[in-house]
Amino acid sequence: MITLYNWDLSVNCYKQRLLLSILDVEYESIPVDFYPGWEHKSAEFKRINPLGHIPVIVDDGYKLRDAHAILTYLASKYDPSGRWYPASDPHLLGETAQWMLFAEGTTNTASAARLHVNLGYEFDIEVLREGAHELFRALDEHLWFREREGLDWVTSSPHPTIADLAIFPDVMLSEEGGISRLDYPAIRRWTDRVRRIEGFVVMPGMFEAAKGAPK
Amino acid sequence: MTTATGHAVCTDPAILNQWYAVAAIPEISVAQVHRTRLLDSSVAYSVTADGECLAWRTAPNDATVTVDASSQLDWLPTRTAFGYLWMSVGEPPPDVFEVQESAEPDRRTLNAATIGIAVSAPRAIENFLDMAHFPYVHPHMLGEEPHTEVADYTTELRNGELWAVDCRFYQPKAAVSSTEGVMAEYLYRVPSPYCAMLYKSSPGDAERMDVIGIFVHPISEEFVRANLFLCLLDDVSSDTTIRRFQQTIFSQDKPILENQYPKRLPLDPRAETPIRADKMAIAYRRWLTDLGVTYGVIPA
Amino acid sequence: MTEAWHPVAASSDLPLRHTFHGQLLGRELAIWRADGGFVNVWENRCLHRGVRLSIGLNDGRELQCQYHGWRYASRTAGCTYIPAHPADAPARTICNRSFLAFERYGLVWTGESPAGELPTVEVLEAADPFGLRNLPVNASAELVIEMLHGHGFQPNAKLDNFGAEIAVQSYGEHCRVLSAMAGGSTTTVVFFVQPVDASRSVIRPVMVGVPEPLVQTDVLRHHNAKLTELRDRIESEAARLPALQPLSAAIEQVPIHLSEVPIGAIGRRKAPLRVQVARKWQTATDIVAIEFESIDGQLPTFQPGAHIDVHLPNGLVRQYSLTNGPGELTHYRVGVKLEAESRGGSASLHETVREGDVVAISEPRNNFPLRRDSLRTVLIAGGIGVTPLLAMAQALHHNDLRYELHYFARADDHVAFRTILDELGDSTQAHLGLSPGGTAAELERILDQPGHAEHVYVCGPGPMLEATRRIAADRGWPDEAVHFEYFQNATEIDDTTSFEINLARSALTLRVGSGETILEVLHQHGVSLGSSCEQGACGTCSVAVLDGEPLHQDVYLSEAERELGDQMMVCVSRTNGKSLTLDI
Ligand code: FES
Ligand SMILES: [Fe+2]
Repeated sequence: MITLYNWDLSVNCYKQRLLLSILDVEYESIPVDFYPGWEHKSAEFKRINPLGHIPVIVDDGYKLRDAHAILTYLASKYDPSGRWYPASDPHLLGETAQWMLFAEGTTNTASAARLHVNLGYEFDIEVLREGAHELFRALDEHLWFREREGLDWVTSSPHPTIADLAIFPDVMLSEEGGISRLDYPAIRRWTDRVRRIEGFVVMPGMFEAAKGAPK
Repeated sequence: MTTATGHAVCTDPAILNQWYAVAAIPEISVAQVHRTRLLDSSVAYSVTADGECLAWRTAPNDATVTVDASSQLDWLPTRTAFGYLWMSVGEPPPDVFEVQESAEPDRRTLNAATIGIAVSAPRAIENFLDMAHFPYVHPHMLGEEPHTEVADYTTELRNGELWAVDCRFYQPKAAVSSTEGVMAEYLYRVPSPYCAMLYKSSPGDAERMDVIGIFVHPISEEFVRANLFLCLLDDVSSDTTIRRFQQTIFSQDKPILENQYPKRLPLDPRAETPIRADKMAIAYRRWLTDLGVTYGVIPA
Repeated sequence: MTEAWHPVAASSDLPLRHTFHGQLLGRELAIWRADGGFVNVWENRCLHRGVRLSIGLNDGRELQCQYHGWRYASRTAGCTYIPAHPADAPARTICNRSFLAFERYGLVWTGESPAGELPTVEVLEAADPFGLRNLPVNASAELVIEMLHGHGFQPNAKLDNFGAEIAVQSYGEHCRVLSAMAGGSTTTVVFFVQPVDASRSVIRPVMVGVPEPLVQTDVLRHHNAKLTELRDRIESEAARLPALQPLSAAIEQVPIHLSEVPIGAIGRRKAPLRVQVARKWQTATDIVAIEFESIDGQLPTFQPGAHIDVHLPNGLVRQYSLTNGPGELTHYRVGVKLEAESRGGSASLHETVREGDVVAISEPRNNFPLRRDSLRTVLIAGGIGVTPLLAMAQALHHNDLRYELHYFARADDHVAFRTILDELGDSTQAHLGLSPGGTAAELERILDQPGHAEHVYVCGPGPMLEATRRIAADRGWPDEAVHFEYFQNATEIDDTTSFEINLARSALTLRVGSGETILEVLHQHGVSLGSSCEQGACGTCSVAVLDGEPLHQDVYLSEAERELGDQMMVCVSRTNGKSLTLDI
């Protein structure tokens, strides 16, 4: 059984919940009072993760931290189709890794801006917003050309990968950080597609997409 | 009016002369200076080693690190109530309004969250007073389709406070400790323009009600930090569990509030379209109009 | 600028079931395509509490607001359902602001109050347009237009070279046509610039002629790269200029009668609409279906259960229920049964009215509103009574709500509107050729198990209605769970008297002249009062009478209630005396 050290309002914890829900894998969630309790900084929690952050998973005694690393592990282990983490296709694997790194960027800009607005983290908000817009411009352009090729996701796979799930929450909640998506129509369409993936769940702050048109 | 540094500050007496909760006391690190803004003014506060609460006006780029009661500062009045530090940049009444329940020994009193929201304070309050959105914004928690009907209720003024009574709404899972749907009963109370409370039938005690409050700390006309106050009859759940539920509810409202346009609350009755279910919102808007509130609203 | 047409989205920005977020001259827009293809351009603000509709749900026919679930119909933007009051029909006039929209050259065009027709661009009329990637720019439209005059690209045949010669042609305020020439080949691109806000724009380039499929991607990438370079130059230029104040778009006030609480259903009788019979066909033995299309402008919003008055050529007025599904607003569809002892109503429609004829109809009124907060809805239709229930079934079906439609008909060839029934699928069941006894037995079976929060709607001949109500009551269905359409008021209304009304609570005295109703006079003076059928049949506009003797002309109050004289329906009833004192 997987144990997830979790806070409901954390995008990085949500990434795990989302993948686990899509893969239909059962897990136990241990709520961490991230805020206002700052429990992840407690001596007790640091015994679980010395870096003092969430998420952390423990799977049958195997412990792993850092959102994108956990996604990689969970997809590799629990997706028998191999599509969420396409390890057997060098091109797709390369692209997945590339876009996972991109997600580090969106986390450090868009999601950081959200922490500033919501919880008062002391960051230079203008720098974060500018950084996020720069990344969003690149993502919108990329997704627009993907659509022209008849592809729906950030990699060239016909199937979504963990890279989509890694980027999605930072983007979907960007407006909480004061980063509008009005200028990114291709991103907005992609967020509809992600929200229509079977097994998708929301996190507080986002709504489900309208049901897709019947095929 | 503008400050020495040139930015506009609040001049609305109806809003200036009120108490505002700016922080939950257990979350204030002792002997440190905390800076924030209140009604566009730069302010700071600190809790001394012996538990004394201090607040003062600062320059916007002030960098003071420690203060004590003997420092030469532009002091501001403070109070402590229900676990929060309250302050004012105007001439407030002698005391913060009362919440009798907070003195009952068998209740759990805690701050569920303090969250920044890009909206005006009155929009946040109006959302807090609204039941009709439960099935859409808080599905499976405070409401659930197709149970969408808002039964008639009554609004009234009690000692200058605004109340809504006899409110009922279908709730699939009223709180952490409840497991199935009920008709939850609510009372709403607005003791001051930017504070509101709800009293809700408690799953833990048929005779008494849980109390949940929103104490809005207005940073500016269009940005607030909302303090979510809980005073519950629940001796089972952990703090973390209780907070989780309320934090989720709160975070679900946030995208709605941040997508309301205009951000300030329009007091002109013809600005938006009310229905019977919005009686409390109408009463609130009229009450603000009668109080002469101009800050955070678009006066009629 | 508000009088000009502007592009606000690319057609490809609007896949089905998506809501696009746009902005023009500071005003935000929610833009969405209905399943039938129609493009809606609406102000991005729910009339209820100002929430952006761009976060709402496009269900293919209606847009649902995310805050309180109000639903707005495609085409009219009229509100069709308010979940907080499931038993009420929303006022017809709750309508979001919408703007005229057209698709041309692969772009969606609109304007705040555009004067004249959407202009054409000649070069684009001559060849097929090919949409390039649109690019938002953080700079004013003026600056973008100015700097487009330094923009360059290669003709399609010479993409790998550089230094093509560029000719620029101005085409109105917000459009530039650029032609790139090199080595004897030329490619022309029309650049439309959308003024988003004072310092934001979108460049929407359309190429004249579609490139060979093999080079399309290269062409798209080439232009995207070139435009990105241009954008960088424009934005660094914009950064050196003084910042501009964002534009503020004025929000219109809602009509006065919507601004007061409480509002159930309210509305005034409007002058009849003129419509054309677009289609008329035999849908079953003795039943014709008729589709009415608007002659000028958009047909008004309707709700399931609504009916229209049809003014017949022979001077009679008859009510017919609409059979349309949600968001179906290109026409109104009704079913008309030829009644054996017709006094000329149905016979006139069957025999005289032909396709192409123009007839007058009323706006839709709803005396038979459908709750959508029901856990199960049982629809019981007898014969032609199926028409309002068809509209309900389609709404329930489309909203994924649990329902069953029982259709009692004499025989197979008496079953009307098969196409709709087929679309509804398994939830409909026909009961054919049953005797009154057989019908009763079937009803007993259908209504056997009343459940919590379940509702029954019945429409059909009198005896069947009675049987349904009786059986439902026997089986324990609460009265308020069994719905049937209000009886129509056939009384000849006398409106010749004139008198005064004293409004006790508002301390107002008003005069009601002959030809006016009390309700109209109240509305004229800003006193809001719910009303629905406005023919004394539904009871919505009931008012308590404190003094004076009412002249009842409604069919809602019972004899006993009339005797009491303490309430009246102000849409039709009056007084023969000098004045009435009302509790308003
Ligand atoms: S704000 Fe749109 S339904 Fe209430
Ligand atoms: Fe809420």
